[in-house]
Amino acid sequence: MATKPIGAGVEAGLESIRDGIAQGRFPARVFNDQEIFDIEQQRVFSKAWCFLAHESEIPDRGDYVTRYIANNNLIVARDESGEIHASLNMCRHRGNMMCKSEMGNASHFRCSYHGWVYKNSGELVGVPYMKEGYEGRIDKRDWGLIKVRTQTYAGLVFGTLDPDAPPLDEYLGGFQFYLDLYLKQGNSGSEVHGPPDHWVTETDWKIAAENFSGDGYHTPVAHQFGFNLGYFASSGATHSQGWAASIPGKGHGIGLGHTPGFPPFAGFPEELADEMRRSLSPEQVEVFSQTRTAVGTVFPNLSFLMQPFSIVPGQTGVRFVTMRLYHPIGPGKTEMYSWCLVPKDASDEYKQEAYRAYTLTFAQAGTFEQDDLENWARVTRSAGSTMARNIEFPYVMGMDSVRDPDFPGPGHVVKPYVNDSNFRNLWSRWSDYMTGQV
Amino acid sequence: MSEAVPIPEAENPGDGEVLHYPRDGGDEGPIVVANEFVDVVVRRVETRNGVRLEIWSPRRNTCVRFDAVALDCLSYQEPEFITSLLARKPGP
Repeated sequence: MATKPIGAGVEAGLESIRDGIAQGRFPARVFNDQEIFDIEQQRVFSKAWCFLAHESEIPDRGDYVTRYIANNNLIVARDESGEIHASLNMCRHRGNMMCKSEMGNASHFRCSYHGWVYKNSGELVGVPYMKEGYEGRIDKRDWGLIKVRTQTYAGLVFGTLDPDAPPLDEYLGGFQFYLDLYLKQGNSGSEVHGPPDHWVTETDWKIAAENFSGDGYHTPVAHQFGFNLGYFASSGATHSQGWAASIPGKGHGIGLGHTPGFPPFAGFPEELADEMRRSLSPEQVEVFSQTRTAVGTVFPNLSFLMQPFSIVPGQTGVRFVTMRLYHPIGPGKTEMYSWCLVPKDASDEYKQEAYRAYTLTFAQAGTFEQDDLENWARVTRSAGSTMARNIEFPYVMGMDSVRDPDFPGPGHVVKPYVNDSNFRNLWSRWSDYMTGQV
Repeated sequence: MSEAVPIPEAENPGDGEVLHYPRDGGDEGPIVVANEFVDVVVRRVETRNGVRLEIWSPRRNTCVRFDAVALDCLSYQEPEFITSLLARKPGP
């Protein structure tokens, strides 16, 4: 039975999409639709834990960045005692934007409209003409910046607009096991290498989030130059090898690509690989020593990728990590944030090499990035066309796969790497939010 | 500008001078400290018998000169001290 058109009743349409996922069907229109976008803003992004910043972006007291959850601009700041706060970037007096810069350092924020002054923790401290104008009718304690609930995991700062959302650890639900590959590279963990690349794309956030939750299937085709020219340690013949791991009921998923004969942790400097073997658990070492590519998404829209990239074709290459946020700004329109993560303890030389590999592959003008966006922009355009209103896509790859009994990592883990299992889990969770189950 | 605002004693730097200040923590002045809310120019001012640190706010057109005792006193204040000053007088 085909998915009911949204026009037949929004709630019924969303329920029918939800039912379709279990049968391996998902409609094209959700990737470019105003109504879906509007509901996502209310039901997904206003309830889920959304990524705000990496702690290393605001290392010192007074450091701040401005980021979004849904269409809310937030100030993420480290206060004078070192605590991190997220506050709505809106003066309580008349609603002016407090911080117009995307990053900076300030002990206090001063509104450029009437001059109200707030501490970087969000408390209102200064009101011009307090005595003459307000005559004691206003209590500053009642008019601080609106706070947003935050929690962190291994340097990642998340925020949620939902006061009843479960704790972040529960929300991640075991996906931390896989995130550690990106976030705990050595004893001191990871840090951002410079500010994020930041640009607007003509693609829907969901296309990107799905791709990065483990789409090994597109790589030999979309990125064939990488194979053919020897920049990428994989081949068409073996590229399906590896695992798709997902956390059922949570939406998070990761693809773990495996290249036969590729040495464990190859592409890391030897001393860093040794440190990682010590700092990760034995189960993590077993999983990641077999991993060439790790590409995963934390529901809804935060993604990571680690792989080696050979500056000189045919060589082992240099491991790099890209962390990216797909911020939805409209149906079929996404504001991209893309960071390079590097191990904090690594040599400056390796950090530079990793950053160069990241820049050449997945930064704004990176070769892989352009391959992807070229495809994603056209998928988005197709999804918004009138004939696509009732067209569905098959999500049936790996439907009958059983969990790999030998795999030591958590979640539902199936072989091969080329699999729709993670995507069904991702859209199933999306549907939970869209239908108000969460 | 209101007449109540005192004319600062600081002189504007010469043409081009303000564009060249040390960014590496050197103490050859003037030093510009700025964020998106305000910018100030800091420099050492020699007096006949000593030295003071001058903080000049070009946009506000105000200026103070702190001696070593005043600066030492600032060095052990809590951040809340500045907050209390801003609470007392958030603007001119």
